[in-house]
Amino acid sequence: MVKKMVTGNYAAAYGAMRSRVKVVAAYPITPQTFIVEHLSEFVNNGELECEYVEVESEHTAMSTCVSASATGVRTFTATSSQGLALMHEILPIASGMRLPVVMAVVNRAIAAPINIWVEHNDIMPERDSGWIQVFCDNNQEVQDMVLQAFKIAEDKRVALPMSVGLDAFILSHTVEPVDLMDQGLADKFLPKYVPPGPIIDPDDVMDVGVFTPPEYMMEARFNMDKAMREAPKVIEEVNAAFAKQFGRNHGGMIDPYMVDDADAVLITLGTASSTAHEVVDDMRAEGKKVGLVKLRFWRPYPSAQLRKIAEKSKAVGVFDRAVSYGVSGPSFIEFKSAAYGLNVPAMNFIGGLGGRDVSLADVRFMYDRLLEAGKTGKVKREITWMGTRGVEQ
Amino acid sequence: MLAFTRIDTKRIYRKTQVYEPDIVVILDEGLVETVNVVEGLKKGGIVIVNSAKKPEDIDVGIDVKLATVDATTVALEVLKQPATNSAILGAFAKATGLVKIESIEKGIMQIFGDRLGPKVGELNGKAARVAYDRTIVGQSRGHRQLKTAKKWLPDVNELPLGVAAVPMKTEAGMVGPGSFLESKTGSWRVFRPDYSKDKCTMCNFCWFYCPEGCIYRKGEEMEFDMDYCKGCGICANECPSEAIKMVR
Repeated sequence: MVKKMVTGNYAAAYGAMRSRVKVVAAYPITPQTFIVEHLSEFVNNGELECEYVEVESEHTAMSTCVSASATGVRTFTATSSQGLALMHEILPIASGMRLPVVMAVVNRAIAAPINIWVEHNDIMPERDSGWIQVFCDNNQEVQDMVLQAFKIAEDKRVALPMSVGLDAFILSHTVEPVDLMDQGLADKFLPKYVPPGPIIDPDDVMDVGVFTPPEYMMEARFNMDKAMREAPKVIEEVNAAFAKQFGRNHGGMIDPYMVDDADAVLITLGTASSTAHEVVDDMRAEGKKVGLVKLRFWRPYPSAQLRKIAEKSKAVGVFDRAVSYGVSGPSFIEFKSAAYGLNVPAMNFIGGLGGRDVSLADVRFMYDRLLEAGKTGKVKREITWMGTRGVEQ
Repeated sequence: MLAFTRIDTKRIYRKTQVYEPDIVVILDEGLVETVNVVEGLKKGGIVIVNSAKKPEDIDVGIDVKLATVDATTVALEVLKQPATNSAILGAFAKATGLVKIESIEKGIMQIFGDRLGPKVGELNGKAARVAYDRTIVGQSRGHRQLKTAKKWLPDVNELPLGVAAVPMKTEAGMVGPGSFLESKTGSWRVFRPDYSKDKCTMCNFCWFYCPEGCIYRKGEEMEFDMDYCKGCGICANECPSEAIKMVR
């Protein structure tokens, strides 16, 4: 297959088409708009046999996806920022009803201040919504992860909805070469949809999403927690199956690079991972032992894997494109929990908020700080607000 | 507004803005007067300007290989609208030699043609070809010190609470409401309204419809504020007595 130059938004829409989604319900929001526009074109051109539902809000978009999914069809939507916030009420309904809805989330700053560029503060509040969440760092990965997302979410051991995150503009609007997969190959990887649980069917009467008294809640919640704990195994299996069929291995829960002998390891989410990859190559060429963990899955969180890496490293840094006010970056909170009791110096770098550029020099600054901490065993500053004017670096 | 692209035969990992370009394309010639457009340009770099001037008549502050094409005129001739994006690609092919004009035509046909129909694809491909033929590649001698417009970049203590846009004077001039008293936006214009008082019936349609509030009623005639008129042409379109014509 010849690679085509497409945006991340196109890659997401194309991935949904190749997944043969049967219902799409979505509401446009910058910078996600092109995903739903492309999908409506696919439907209009007859390339995708699908019920495309135009709705009046994201709240209704997710409600429609939940209802459609409950009837036993593959369902997709996409949103961003305030749109995701408006969906908030329905997100735990999708997960609680154990419906494998898949959604592309173009990560954009949450207002105020109003801003349309990349930030992860839109999805961080959905951490506990029961959705499996992955972050991508290139457009090929976006297409591939939409297909993988359905396979993961629909697995009987999981049966949870999943979001595929792509950074606003850096992926959503940037063209990159992408191997757009053939339908035949996609069908082989992702066969016809088999609902993981009971569905609404007029011929086989049942009720879903029912009122549930206290006697049943603990068990229901436990099962969701169990599914999330079993998800990493499924995620690794699906990644391996994908790599075998397509020759593209994006990594499972995490994608480590040069960490085995690293003195300093940086953990990143989203496109900063790709930039950091180049810096690792540059610094390795200078004889500096630096490594990178591209944290792909945010929920479930790879605690044990990261703890193992932290045990071997002399210093660990976490780059966050989000902030939990008054504490630190959300990803740093998780890492500290995973590394509890270990004596490794850990530092948090908060940067790239609202589309502020994360440059090669920025990443180098982080590694220099980490190498210094590794040498002295001392953390100069636990939380650094990268390049923020008037704030000590 | 800035946009970037990187081209390589290998996978490109960095997902950052471009600070040291090999090639700078300037779609609005007026920017040369307010921004140091060659900032960070690598040695041996190329500058491409949308301009009716010859390369040697443009001074970007340094000695540099420079190409010009009047992409706005090409776009108006071929596309009947001042959208210069496809035309400037022809100039890019001519000035850099990195890509064949035939490949550009094919690419435009693929992207524009697929989404907007073969007619739009053909026209945009033609715009690129015409611009390619008209592009002059030359050398520009830089004599003057380019002034880069200052930007107001407050630190955490100076930023108003909640990022409220409070009118104030800064080192970069006025910011907040009213700052456009200093920032004239008329230079964005390609067309201007040509008003004929004789045909005007004072119906005030243009006054109602001007989205920029640039038209005033002055006694028995209309007055146009050319400091801010962006030449959208809505006034001419709405005028029932053809008293306004858009001219370049």
